[in-house]
Amino acid sequence: MDGSVILDNVVMRFDDFTAIEPTSLEIRSGEFFSFLGPSGCGKTTLLNIISGFLSPTDGDVRIGNASMRGVPVNHRPTAMIFQNLALFPLMSVYQNIEFGLEVRGVDRATRRRKADELLELVALGGSGGKPVSALSGGQKQRVAIARALAVEPRVLLLDEPLSALDLKLRQHMRNELKAIQRKTGITFIYITHDQGEALAMSDRVAVMSAGRIQQVADPETLYHRPQTGFVATFVGENNRLAGRVIECRDGRATLDIPGLGRLSGRSGSELSPGRPAALFVRPESLSLSDAVGSAAASMLEAHIETVSFEGAWRMLEARLIATRETVRILVGQGAGDVLQPGQTARFGYDPDNAIVLADDGAPTHDAEMGETPRASSQPAQENRHVPSA
Amino acid sequence: MSAQRFFDWGLRLYIGLFFVYLFLPLAIMAVATFNDSRFPTITPWNGTTLKWFAELWADGRMWAALGNSLLVAGGVLCLAVPIGVASALFLTTVESRAKPFVYGLILSPLLTPGVIIGISTLIFWREFGINGGTFLTVLGQATFISAYVMLMVMARLQRFDRTLERAALDLGATPWQAFRRVLLPFLKPAILSAAAIAFLQSFENYNTSLFVVGYDTTLTVYLASKVRTGLTPAVNALGLVLILITILIASVYELKRRHELKPKGV
Amino acid sequence: MFRQLKARFGVPVAMAIVGILGVWLIAMVTLPQLQMIDYSFRPSLLPAEIGGPKDGWTLANYVTLFNNDIHLSIFFKTLWSSVFVTLLTLLVSYPLAYYLAKIATPGQAALCLLLLIVPFWINEILRTFSWFILLAFRGPLNEILLSLGLIERPIRFLNGDTGVLVGMVYAYLLFMVFPLYNAIESLDGNQIRAARDLGAGSLRTHWRIVIPHAKPGIATGCIMTFMLAAGSYAVPALLGSPGSRWFTQIIYNWFFEGGDWNQGAAYAFLLLILCIGFMALVMRLFKVGLADIAK
Repeated sequence: MDGSVILDNVVMRFDDFTAIEPTSLEIRSGEFFSFLGPSGCGKTTLLNIISGFLSPTDGDVRIGNASMRGVPVNHRPTAMIFQNLALFPLMSVYQNIEFGLEVRGVDRATRRRKADELLELVALGGSGGKPVSALSGGQKQRVAIARALAVEPRVLLLDEPLSALDLKLRQHMRNELKAIQRKTGITFIYITHDQGEALAMSDRVAVMSAGRIQQVADPETLYHRPQTGFVATFVGENNRLAGRVIECRDGRATLDIPGLGRLSGRSGSELSPGRPAALFVRPESLSLSDAVGSAAASMLEAHIETVSFEGAWRMLEARLIATRETVRILVGQGAGDVLQPGQTARFGYDPDNAIVLADDGAPTHDAEMGETPRASSQPAQENRHVPSA
Repeated sequence: MSAQRFFDWGLRLYIGLFFVYLFLPLAIMAVATFNDSRFPTITPWNGTTLKWFAELWADGRMWAALGNSLLVAGGVLCLAVPIGVASALFLTTVESRAKPFVYGLILSPLLTPGVIIGISTLIFWREFGINGGTFLTVLGQATFISAYVMLMVMARLQRFDRTLERAALDLGATPWQAFRRVLLPFLKPAILSAAAIAFLQSFENYNTSLFVVGYDTTLTVYLASKVRTGLTPAVNALGLVLILITILIASVYELKRRHELKPKGV
Repeated sequence: MFRQLKARFGVPVAMAIVGILGVWLIAMVTLPQLQMIDYSFRPSLLPAEIGGPKDGWTLANYVTLFNNDIHLSIFFKTLWSSVFVTLLTLLVSYPLAYYLAKIATPGQAALCLLLLIVPFWINEILRTFSWFILLAFRGPLNEILLSLGLIERPIRFLNGDTGVLVGMVYAYLLFMVFPLYNAIESLDGNQIRAARDLGAGSLRTHWRIVIPHAKPGIATGCIMTFMLAAGSYAVPALLGSPGSRWFTQIIYNWFFEGGDWNQGAAYAFLLLILCIGFMALVMRLFKVGLADIAK
């Protein structure tokens, strides 16, 4: 069963607004693939195009190598888990799960057998006769999964299905979704604005912004080798220092940053001297100057403004003395103990842990933060342990 | 503070008087049924009797009018419920520049005096050689009762989560199956309530019917003519029976409605 | 329009919706009205004369009204009385609606609403008839007033317009109470408390806070009540005397006693214009749209 999904130059325009810029992409059969981006980036539009609720203005979607042009929603080999789950409120759990089979004319006994199997799979055995309203949030989630799996889709589309759950349950359901995906071998296409979800579950992630795919990569690559400023700031936290390229050699780029002088890092994209670019240093890559102690380290002097205690870590917010820009620094407990707001300290980083990306004028995530405050701050904390692993 | 208290007590007194005003006439009418008097009154009281019920029972024209009323109400249901549901579906589905116009047109029968709906129906069908009678009564009443049905169905339809329809389609249902299995069951309570209201509206209608009944008098028109000519307490007896039936239907309707309003934790 | 219906319901249901809606709006709502208007501009002719030289559009049916002092005075009396009934109903309903929406406990409000709905379900004829009994010359009200010594001779309530006005307020009250109640209920109680807190008296609070908020409800109630009052046939027929006729009664007479349907159609059209005019006036005064009214 081929569950590959190919987007072939898909474009979506509404009147004079372009929701999806020309996009081509191949999602492999059996892959857990996520579209990650802030609200309004076009990820839901893409999902609706794949499921057939929207027809693209141009381009084609191929599922299992068959063109979906002109194939209506109800004839596509996809099934969707909706954000609000969309369980039929007047039907029982059984009726919900069997709905897709019933409309296909599958006989009663087969339907019931299948429903029971699926209820076992989602660990809800014996709940088939209950009304949907009697279920808890997590149980509803499982019924929605079972209902979608009942029609044996080649591709399962998930539209932020975990967003309504509380944090604990959400983390639990992540593991379960991943397990179900492995067990069934179905292609999962997952939509989310929560990078924690996307990074934790996915084989590959497409980061989207303003109707355009910024980068497609596995989670580690996204985090360590972002290709655009947007990805660098949207996935995990990053400090951004803008300047001009002076030199570019041996995978290392040096920038001239007004007020800070020459700073360098790994070059992460096509760079040429004289062009605007930005240096990105993650909060955990900055450390108090004594700890760096190497000649290779670059130094920044900053005025500490706030210190927030976060368990094993402390997050500092500091203002660079030279440029008045704010940077965030994550320090371990030992070092953090001595730091107080109002002090001035020197921070350094290892250029191997910083990355230089061309400043193409496209918005970084910071510019859009007002739009999705939840997406940017909270998941970032969840993921801070990634680099140290 | 005492001025406020005075105000509150004044309001309470007003509410009490209001309900006396609301029910006293009906009570007097009901009591008058049992007065052994030639005219419907309670003063003077000439002794208690049930003979007016007997007279009512023996009134053949009343029975004929009742039968006709039921026939009309049945016909109105058959027209007004589909029309009301169709217009509600139309209004919640279509987004177009013509929509406000259509909406205004759909509401217009509610804002038109009943007599005018009766008159225009009568005049229009005369062109086709159809005169006043049961058929025109059904058409005339359905013209505006449909709009009531629309309002009631619409109220529920606006609370419908259209993702459910999308989910049904996504699971392989045809649009018809999605409509039949998901939307209609959701609308069913509203459609049943609307049908109950439509039935009563039809049964009680006077203004429109007055012009289009022809010789097929309905019970309400018959009742009005009895009040104006040949008034006896038999009219009260009929009124009392109708009130009791109405209260019965209204209570069942209210109980059902309250039962549905209870939160089900959806 | 059809495309959206088709996408949602499929072709058969979409066609049924458009078909049913079309037949209703065209054959039941629009064409009969147009036919009535057309009728009103044509002379009443014998069947043989139709299509003949006398057949053509004329204003004669409207001129009749202006040449008939009695009909004209009844027309204006219907207008003013309906306005009066509307204002009276508003006055009676407002305190009740306010009590239900903002003062009564939920239990009290539910009970009161039920008590209000019950008479509403009862036939208009019967509600009117009950006043006929109450107000009769030798009826209970006169008996009570006599026995209390408040009057010396029974009053003929049903001789003039008193009975008609009282009966109409009674019959159409609920069409005022419910829109008012719905409108006032949606007002945030804190606004009232805040106004009180800022030192506004009861009357000022109503005038400045509650009434402006309830405007759509007031407009709806007034439009419905006026339309019902002006278009009422039963109440004036039952509670009025031959001397206090209503415009609807004149219309009825043209149809079923005078036998001149064209004349009747003209009068009916004038009644319709009266109602539309009142509605337009209220909507403009209160600055509300059609969408507010349908709530």
